[in-house]
Amino acid sequence: MKYYTIHHHTRYRYSSEVSESTMEVRMQPRTDRQQRCLNFRLEVWPHAQVLATSDCLQNAIHYFDIPRSHSELLLRAQTLVMVQESEPLPESLESSEWKALGEVAATGHHWDWLTPSRFARPTPLLSDFAEEIGFGQDQDPLTALFNLNERIHAAIEYTPKSTAVDSPIDTALDNRRGVCQDFSHIMIALLRKAGIPARYISGYVFLDPERKKEKEISGASHAWVEAFLPTTGWIGLDPTNNSAVSDKHIRIAVGRDYADVPPTRGTYKGNARSELTVGVHISETEDEDIPHDLLDNGHVTTRELVEAESSTRLRLEQEQQQQQ
Amino acid sequence: MPSQDDTVNESALSLFSNYALEGSIFDEMFRANGRPRVSYEKLLQSILELQASELTQRQQAADLTFLNRGITFTVYGEDSTIERIFPYDILPRIISDQEWKTIERGLRQRIHAINLFLRDVYHDGRILQEGKVPFDLIYSCVNYQREMRGVNVANDVYTSIVGSDLVRLPSGEFAVLEDNLRVPSGVSYMLANREVMTQVFPGMFGGYGIRPIGHYGQALLEQLQTLTPKGRDATIVLLTPGIFNSAYFEHTFLARVMGIELVEGADLLIHDGFVYMRTTSGLQRVDVIYRRIDDEYIDPLHFKPDSTLGVPGLFNAYRAGNITLANAIGTGIADDKAVYAFVPEMIRYYLGEEPVLQNVETYLCLRDDERAYVLENLDKLVVKAVGKSGGYGMLIGPYSTAKERESFRQQIQEDPRNYIAQPTLSLSRAPCYIDGHVVSRHVDLRPFILYGGEQENTVIVPGGLTRVALRKGSLVVNSSQGGGSKDTWVLQED
Repeated sequence: MKYYTIHHHTRYRYSSEVSESTMEVRMQPRTDRQQRCLNFRLEVWPHAQVLATSDCLQNAIHYFDIPRSHSELLLRAQTLVMVQESEPLPESLESSEWKALGEVAATGHHWDWLTPSRFARPTPLLSDFAEEIGFGQDQDPLTALFNLNERIHAAIEYTPKSTAVDSPIDTALDNRRGVCQDFSHIMIALLRKAGIPARYISGYVFLDPERKKEKEISGASHAWVEAFLPTTGWIGLDPTNNSAVSDKHIRIAVGRDYADVPPTRGTYKGNARSELTVGVHISETEDEDIPHDLLDNGHVTTRELVEAESSTRLRLEQEQQQQQ
Repeated sequence: MPSQDDTVNESALSLFSNYALEGSIFDEMFRANGRPRVSYEKLLQSILELQASELTQRQQAADLTFLNRGITFTVYGEDSTIERIFPYDILPRIISDQEWKTIERGLRQRIHAINLFLRDVYHDGRILQEGKVPFDLIYSCVNYQREMRGVNVANDVYTSIVGSDLVRLPSGEFAVLEDNLRVPSGVSYMLANREVMTQVFPGMFGGYGIRPIGHYGQALLEQLQTLTPKGRDATIVLLTPGIFNSAYFEHTFLARVMGIELVEGADLLIHDGFVYMRTTSGLQRVDVIYRRIDDEYIDPLHFKPDSTLGVPGLFNAYRAGNITLANAIGTGIADDKAVYAFVPEMIRYYLGEEPVLQNVETYLCLRDDERAYVLENLDKLVVKAVGKSGGYGMLIGPYSTAKERESFRQQIQEDPRNYIAQPTLSLSRAPCYIDGHVVSRHVDLRPFILYGGEQENTVIVPGGLTRVALRKGSLVVNSSQGGGSKDTWVLQED
């Protein structure tokens, strides 16, 4: 069992004054079988009343609005979460598991996880890719899962900023480069095609001190995949890292794909470009060394966002890509 | 075609010289033997007493009234959109008290069951689990809103403002052709038709006991007030997509008769989870939105991101129970033309009753055997795209070309879920005054239902909008496809 304190800071800077910002935030970790969110606080500047609700998949949503004009918007989320190591998995399963999956599909309970969604949908490139890596010929679905995890990892190079937040999987399949979001969408699309229910997990990953030095960050927003097998239940797989999920994976939200669960989503009024800066710091709770301000000390990723058009109301791509 | 023993002059009789009766089609005015139905006797007498020139004059007076009042609608074409007056026929369509009682009972039952269905699908989904309605049909519906799962709506009323389309079969029985459960339109034409009728034929009302419909606006307002604990003190607004919408006339009309504000998305904003309207004296809290905007456009944060018509963040206010939307979000799953086929099953399942009003026989193209039948009989059937309305996306087999059929064949095979087929119906025909003659034309009937949570709290103003296919032989009554309308009289109890 591990305890983590997570600081997640987000800043939007606008090229000129905007008003009537409306925003929805998905940053609070889920509380379920494997983890428990012990504390969550979200502060917003300029000050706004933050309200909480949850979506149809019981992901926590925080939302607020800022009517008056502003040129900067800051979010500071602080989380304390407890995570348990997941149950060990068997080496393999019987081949009859394929048949059991068919029965699962027939109940309709996994409809959302078996049908194509906006980012996780079959394309000709995906079919070619499936053939190339030999997906779906395995004895049992669990072996197929592990093999797929490994082969996607081997076939696609993790390259920060190689794709955009709204890139279809074909971009990554074509260039053989992508970020965790692409790895996950490709895997989900393939699993669904093979009749294995699959969903997208938005979360954080805690990096070991050695990797921390290497990457100069202490943790990051991340995304991975969960697949459902009747015998085991939901299994977490991280194709970006070719691993199963561990007690270093912190789950925020579950969705069909990224489009369901971006960390932030908003609109504002005004003709302005926006620039998004995000910093995440994760520590095990005994770690006292939490930087005071993440946005000004190098722990950041900055990205220019959409060019504003001359309309009075813009819907921003104020959505952060999950990098790592 | 009045029988020869009627004591009328020759010129009056010539009015009917082009009136056709066919055994296979129910005529609203005449029985098969050529004698008028009891409910039409007085109307026929009045027509026969008038000269053709007088009818023509009154028709012109009516047209002028529509034009002067700007009662128009927009026809969307591929290249252009046109503004037209709504063609109006001066002869009323008459429904007897007995007939109306059956219609009323049937619609109350039907709309109650549909609301129970919507509640069920967005909560426990019992009817899907028990296989009475196939889950894939619902989950694959473009109007299924996953975000509505677990959301509670005021009084469990999902669709409170409904317009169902009825047709009359050769047997004389009324059947339901489709339900409009999202943003039904046409009620303003029903009200306008009556107003024009009373002006043009003041004398004709004297002899008939016709049930009034003028209270619709008040009934609608009261219905909307029941959807919030504030009741009569509630602030209610009508949300329109704006002046380019085909039903904009109706939006202005209804806002006026209810005495509520007509607003566009930009007039509303969300603050701290509540909905406010911008007024000249500051922000005013809104309790109920009678929205005439489709789900997809209502909140760019949750639905279509490029929509400029909606209110960003509205869905979260809705989910929190801080605003009532009429109708609720997600009702389109129940008027999907394929789901329609299961409404009789819903009535049996939720109410344990047999449907009072029947459905029209419907073939679902997603079922292999039914699709095979449809593809073999394209020349006999009417094929409809499930999500389209207004007569768009439709093939009428007997009047189609080989090329059109081929095109539909391909579309059906590519996306069978999206198509259904029905037999080509012989809609009933009613008398219309066209070019100096009384002729018979196909009609349907759209009653307007205000559902209040139980069958007994349901208000249906007597009658509805009778739409008529003005082109000879045409079966398409939609205003966008050359249809018109006429006043609809429901007679008082004898």
